Amino acid sequence: MTEGLLVERIVPGASIQDRGRPGYLRFGVTNGGALDQYALAEGQALLGNSHDAAALEMPGYGGRFIAKYAVNIALSGAEMDARLNDTPIGWRRSKTLRQGDVLEIGATREGLIGYLHVEGGFLTPRMLGSRSSHLRAGFGFSPTSSDVLPIGPQSKGQGEVALPRPDYFDLRCLPLLKGPQTAHFTPETLEKFLRDQYSFSPRRDRMGARMTPAGGPLDGAADGLTIASDVINHGDIQIGGDGLPVLLMADRGSSGGYPRIGVLARAALDAAAQMPSDEPFSFRLIDRSTAVDLWKKHQALINSLAGSVKPLHRDPRDIADLLAYNLVDGMISAKENP
Amino acid sequence: MQPSNDYPRFHDAGESGLLIEFGAGYDPKINAAVTAFDRRVQAAGLSEILETMPSFRSLLVRFDPLSCDYEALKSTLRRLLSQPAKTSIAGPKPRHFRLPVVYGGSFGPDIDEVAALSGIAAADIPDSHASEVLDVAMLGFSPGLAYLGQMAPAWDIPRAESLRPSVPVGAILVAVRQTVLPATPIPTGWRQIGQTPFRSLQPDAERPFLLSPGDKVSFVPITAAEFDKPWTFEVAL
Repeated sequence: MTEGLLVERIVPGASIQDRGRPGYLRFGVTNGGALDQYALAEGQALLGNSHDAAALEMPGYGGRFIAKYAVNIALSGAEMDARLNDTPIGWRRSKTLRQGDVLEIGATREGLIGYLHVEGGFLTPRMLGSRSSHLRAGFGFSPTSSDVLPIGPQSKGQGEVALPRPDYFDLRCLPLLKGPQTAHFTPETLEKFLRDQYSFSPRRDRMGARMTPAGGPLDGAADGLTIASDVINHGDIQIGGDGLPVLLMADRGSSGGYPRIGVLARAALDAAAQMPSDEPFSFRLIDRSTAVDLWKKHQALINSLAGSVKPLHRDPRDIADLLAYNLVDGMISAKENP
Repeated sequence: MQPSNDYPRFHDAGESGLLIEFGAGYDPKINAAVTAFDRRVQAAGLSEILETMPSFRSLLVRFDPLSCDYEALKSTLRRLLSQPAKTSIAGPKPRHFRLPVVYGGSFGPDIDEVAALSGIAAADIPDSHASEVLDVAMLGFSPGLAYLGQMAPAWDIPRAESLRPSVPVGAILVAVRQTVLPATPIPTGWRQIGQTPFRSLQPDAERPFLLSPGDKVSFVPITAAEFDKPWTFEVAL
């Protein structure tokens, strides 16, 4: 293990995230992990990392990093302004930093959350089988300026590779399922909820995202205050005492007593996490089998990422058919040469 | 309150979960049914189940919707529900923990308020609280936080109007006939009557969470000077 990347400056709320810690829900520990799991998988595909590799999650803005050694990185998720030694570099691709190189990551251009990956992943301490930071639980690591992030040994690098931009950044109508408590709301309230337009307030974090309904607050559940606490799922939409919906996310409490009007289809969690604040969106009610189909497609896309990685420049040593190319025309003349 | 023959009820909890409700509110009998069913599901060792989460009145069953036959899983769970409760089920047995507690003073800053609300004299709160043998009804809200119930009716006091920004690990918090035992520092509206040196979260241990739903917990009043003694917490059930 080497100390690979010096954090000179970093956005508040940045944290180390991997796929999270499943299996501890019964002990009150939510899965957590990267808010955009697709973007996490992109970085792993770009660098040939294992599925367990951890990345740096950067909400809204990045920071300034200095390579202590040569390090292979990749950038994924929400596209941000990125500069390597003051020269702009592209997003959703890999890059090799040399010792002393300065990587500067600025504001998002679309979406909300960017990810910085290193070959082998960040090697911060594991807690309950995961390196994911869960601030309220005190698990994992959230870097601040002058921290040095530990990384593993780096290969010579496979040359720059890139992935295409995924479509879910354009999703503005989120698929929603009825949940165990939907029936506690009147049909009129549910109908109003589904008809209305929303935007996420900038008051959002890894725990949840508060929504502003264009049509004003909703009526709560008829028996809202008497519902006993039970499990809260990732994607549940809770209607608080103020009638405002809140999308509950990776670092939510595992249980709670506020009634929930529905739950996002799992396939839309990455898109919801990347929805910019103040951007209008709506919901559409779908059934369970449609949600399973959406999840199947989303998973298939994630599974195909490794095969979708394209080299940006072809290294001549990798071109097996090099000798068959007629590299320079016009050197040989049938008439003039014997 | 719904008639009890409406339960258990099956709900989808997203496309990857089933929530089986055993009742509408917290009741020790309903909670015991949840815990017993959870033990039966665990003992059945169904490979399609990723994890279960028992709570006050329901059990969440999580599965992978792409590899699991949803209808078949539902039928299996219904069959397990209709089986008569067995006296012995494989798997870890419920345990009993006796937790030493320093009541009052800086360890229990709200003890006078709790005395006023419950009608129990402040001097009697330690013995009254320590005479309860409580069930771990569920773990939730924050990692390892245990809800313990159900205490005598005098303890049916409301939560405070305002949140205390942080209470320490091991705080003994009370409201609504329950004791809450946080395993990490949390903000809370519950009132703190004491503190225990017991740590239910041991991150590096093979079994990081010591308490499980269905375990029993009771308390022993100790002095502040005894707080740091090497205590043994688990007792034979």
